[in-house]
Amino acid sequence: MRKVREHYSEIVARVPRLQLGFVAALVLIAASYWVVQVAHGERYRELAEHNSLRKRVIKAPRGLIYDRTGAPLVENVPSYNLLLHPSRSRDLEASRSFVEGILGPTPESLEAQWTSPAGVVMVAEDLTLEEVAKLEARSLEYPEFEIEVSHVRLYRHGAHTAHLVGYLGEASEPRIESSEGSLRRGDQVGIVGLEAAYDEVLRGTRGERRVVVDHRGRVKREHGRTPARPGEELPLEIDLAIQQVVARYLEDRVGAVVALDPRDGAVRAMVSSPSYDPNVFARRLDPRSWQAIVKAPHDPLQNRTVQNTYSPGSVFKIVVATAALSESVTHPGESVYCGGAAYFYNHRYRCWKRQGHGNVNMREAIKESCDIYFYTMGQRLGIDRIADYSRRFGLGRPTGIEIAGEKAGLVPDDAWSREARGTPWYVGETISVAIGQGPLLVTPLQMAAMMAIVANGGWTVEPHLVRGEAERHRVELDPHQLERVREALWAVVNEQGTGASARLEEVEIAGKTATVQVVEQVTWIDSEDLPYERRDHAWFASFAPVDAPELVVVSFVEHGGRGSQAAAPLAKLVYETYFGTR
Amino acid sequence: MRRISAHADEPLGLLLRLGSVRWGLLVAALLLMAIGLATVHSASSELAVDYLPRQAAWIGVGLLVMLVVFSIDYQLLIAFAWPLYGLSLVSLVLVLVVGHEAGGARSWLGVAGFGGQPAEFAKLATVLVLASYLAEANRKVLSIPQTVLASVITLGPMVLIALESDLGSAAMFVPLAGGMLAVSGLRGRVVVAGLLVVALVGGLVWSFAMQDYQKQRVRSFVSPESDPLGAGYQLKQSKIAVGSGELLGRGYMQGTQSQLRFLPARHTDFVMAVLAEEWGFVGVAVVLFLYAIYFLNGAEIAMRARDRAGVLLVVGLLSAFGFHVLYNTSMVIGLVPITGIPLPLLSYGGSFMIANLIAVGLILGVDFRRHVNR
Repeated sequence: MRKVREHYSEIVARVPRLQLGFVAALVLIAASYWVVQVAHGERYRELAEHNSLRKRVIKAPRGLIYDRTGAPLVENVPSYNLLLHPSRSRDLEASRSFVEGILGPTPESLEAQWTSPAGVVMVAEDLTLEEVAKLEARSLEYPEFEIEVSHVRLYRHGAHTAHLVGYLGEASEPRIESSEGSLRRGDQVGIVGLEAAYDEVLRGTRGERRVVVDHRGRVKREHGRTPARPGEELPLEIDLAIQQVVARYLEDRVGAVVALDPRDGAVRAMVSSPSYDPNVFARRLDPRSWQAIVKAPHDPLQNRTVQNTYSPGSVFKIVVATAALSESVTHPGESVYCGGAAYFYNHRYRCWKRQGHGNVNMREAIKESCDIYFYTMGQRLGIDRIADYSRRFGLGRPTGIEIAGEKAGLVPDDAWSREARGTPWYVGETISVAIGQGPLLVTPLQMAAMMAIVANGGWTVEPHLVRGEAERHRVELDPHQLERVREALWAVVNEQGTGASARLEEVEIAGKTATVQVVEQVTWIDSEDLPYERRDHAWFASFAPVDAPELVVVSFVEHGGRGSQAAAPLAKLVYETYFGTR
Repeated sequence: MRRISAHADEPLGLLLRLGSVRWGLLVAALLLMAIGLATVHSASSELAVDYLPRQAAWIGVGLLVMLVVFSIDYQLLIAFAWPLYGLSLVSLVLVLVVGHEAGGARSWLGVAGFGGQPAEFAKLATVLVLASYLAEANRKVLSIPQTVLASVITLGPMVLIALESDLGSAAMFVPLAGGMLAVSGLRGRVVVAGLLVVALVGGLVWSFAMQDYQKQRVRSFVSPESDPLGAGYQLKQSKIAVGSGELLGRGYMQGTQSQLRFLPARHTDFVMAVLAEEWGFVGVAVVLFLYAIYFLNGAEIAMRARDRAGVLLVVGLLSAFGFHVLYNTSMVIGLVPITGIPLPLLSYGGSFMIANLIAVGLILGVDFRRHVNR
C-alpha cells in the first residue's frame, strides 16, 4: 500500500456537503413545482385548455318555404367552398399554383385574394365534387386549404317565385351591429321578399361545436356541442300551380297578377314580370351578372304587385258606382245619355266608344264601361266624396302585406292638392278621376284587396302570404249597394260586356276591365297602332264564383292594350287552374 | 490491511460481497428508467415513431455495458485514464472535422451505424482522469498549481465541445470538476478566483462564442415575452404542461400539451414536463425522491470507497449526474435558461443513457471492491 490512506478521511468528510447541497436543491425545486402545479395549477389548466379547445360555429339550417300544398319553393343544398388560411402557407405562390392546377386560373377580379390575403380568404366557391376530391387528396401537403361545406338556397322555381320569396345576401355592417350578436360578418340574411320579412324566423339560432385541436390547429376530436336550432318552416298560402301558370303567361310580357281569397285575404298567387333568377344571388355575385340584372329592360327587380303604382282606369268605376248609389246621387233606374262625348265644366270629354252607348243606367254603364255615365256621377259626387269612398275600399294606404317596399298609392282630394301642389283642386280633374285616370294611383295588390271587399260584401281583408289567422273588419259600405255592383260585374263577363273574354261555362265570374291611357289622346286611336311605351295598360279585376266568391284575380299588363283582350284571358286562365276546369 | 471477506474466486465470498453492495442506487436507477420508458412512450404517441422500443433497446445495451464496467476493476480504468482521456480528445477533434449536424449542434459521430455522442464519453474520461490526478495529489487541501492543472484538464474537452456549439454539454463539466475539486479540498481564495474566472469566461462566451439562438434562449429566459414563438414558446408550453398537471395529473396519455404536440422536445429534454402534466405534482415528487435515493446511495458509496480515487470517481460521476437532474428539472419550469440538458435515465437518447448506465456500473463497481487491498 502506497501513501493512499493518508488523506482519505478529509475528502470523505467533505462528501456529506454534496449530499446536503443536492437534497436542499431538490427540495427547492420540488417547492417550485408545488408552486407551479398546485398553487397556480388551475390557471395553467385553463391555459392548456385554451391552447387546445376551439369553438366552431354550427350554422343553423335556414327554414324552408312551402306553398299551400306543401311543395317546397326553396331548399338548402350543400355547397363546397375552398378557404385559404394564409398564415398556414409556407409559400403562397406554391399554394396558388396547386389550386389553379385544379380549378383553373383565378379571375382577374379575385387577384387580390392571392396578392394581399387578409385573414381567411374564400378562394373559390361552389366546387364540384370532382374538384373537392382532387383537393382533399393532397390536403396533407397543403394544410393551408380548408374545404368548407355550407348550404346555399336553391330556389326551386327560380324566376317564377322570385319577387315573392326574395333572396339572401351577406349581412350589412349596420345590420350586424343591431342584431345583438345573433349575426356575424359573412352571415347570410334575407335581403328582399319573404326571406327578408321572415328573416329571424327562418334563420334559426347557430350552435357551437367545441373541438380539441393540436398545435397546428388541426381538429383531433370533439369536446362538446350546443346544437344549432334550425330555422322555422314557412308555410305559404300561395298556390304554386296558379303562380306558375301566371308566371309562364307573363314571361314575355310586363305585368303583375295578384290572386287572393276574398274570405280571409290569403294570397294564392303574386307574380311580377319581368322577373329574375334569385339563384344568381345565392353565389358570390360577379359585377357582370349584377349589371345584367340591374340594367335589364323593365327593371326585373321591381315587384310590380306592390312597388309600382298605376292608374286604375275603369276598375275604379266600382268605387264611383258604390259611392253614387250610397250617396243617392243616382238610383239604379236612372239613365244617362252617352253620345260618345260630353261637356263638363266647359271641357269636352270623350267616351272610349266613339259612337256612344245611348241611354245607360248604372248596370249598363258598368257592363259597357261607359265613361260619360261615370263622368256624370263624378261631377255629382265631387272629389272629396270619391276620395272618401276610395279610402273605404282601402286605397291610398298599404295593405300591410308581409313583404317590404309596398307603396301606398294616391287618393287625390282638395287637401292633397293644396299640400302637394300648392293649388286648390281643379274640378275638371274630378271628371278624369271618376274613370280612374288623373292623379289617382293604385297598386295591383290594392286592387285585389278592393275586389275582395266587393266580393265578400263589405269586409276588409289583410292580404297575407304566410299561413295564419287573419282578421277581418266590417267596412263602412252598404252591402245592398255592393250587391248591386256585384250583379253588374257579373253582367260584364256573362252578358257580353267588356269582360266576356273571361267567361267560363263552369264557374260564374264577375269582373271589371280597364284600359288605361298612358298618354292623353285627342282622338280615338286603337292602342295597338301606337309604339309600345305609349300603348294602354290593361286591367282586369275579378272574382268567382259570383254567389260565394273564393278567389279574387287582378291581372295587369303594362302597355298590354285593351283590358278585355290582354288582361281578362289571363284571369280566365287563373280561374281555370284554380277550379280545375281544364 | 483488513481482510473481512473472502477472495473473489470463492463462490460464497463473491455472493457475500455482492450482497453488501448498496443496490438502492441500482433500484432507483431501474425505477427511473421504467418511468422514463412509460413517459417517452406517451410523449411520442403522436409522433411517426414510438420511441419506447428504441429507448428499451438503449437501456438493454446500457445494462450490458453497465455489467461489463461493473466487472472491471476501476483501478484498471484509473490506470488507463490518461489514454482514455487522450482518446476522447481525439474523438472530439474528429467530430469537429467530420461530425454532422444534429439539432443545431455538431456532436453526433456516426460510428458503425449508430450515433455516439463523444461528449458523453469525454465526460466519463475526464472524471476518470481527474480522479486519477486528484487521488495522486494526496493533500489535505489542493495547492494552487494542482488546482490550475486540474482546471486545465477539464477545460480541454470543454473547449472542444463548446466549439461544437454544444454549450450546454460543455457547461456540465463545471459542476463535474467543481464537485471533485471541492471534495479534494480548495483554498478559499482559489474558490473566489475560480468564481471570478467563471464569470469572466461566461462574459467572453456571451460576447464571442454564443450563437444567436443560444443568446435568444438566455434573453427569453430573462423576459419570455420577447420571443413568444421561439424559446419563449418552448418555456411557455412547458410551464403550461407542468402547471396543468396540478396535484394528481391529467392521467397517463391524457396530457393535452404533450398529446396535442404543443410541447416541443417532449420525449427528450422536456420529458419532465410530460411527466408533470400527466402525473401531477405527485409524479414529480416520486421522481425527485428517486433521484435523491440515487444520489444519497451514491454518496454513501463514495464515503466508504476503498481509496481516494474511488471516492473522487464516485463524486465526479454523482456531481455530473446531480447537476443534470437539478438543471433539467429547473429548466422545465423556467428557473434557469433553456439549454440542451437532458434528464438522466428519463430522457430519450442513446449515448446519454449508456453513459449514465456506465456511471451506475462504475459506482457499483467501486462499492463492490471497497474491501480489497485497502
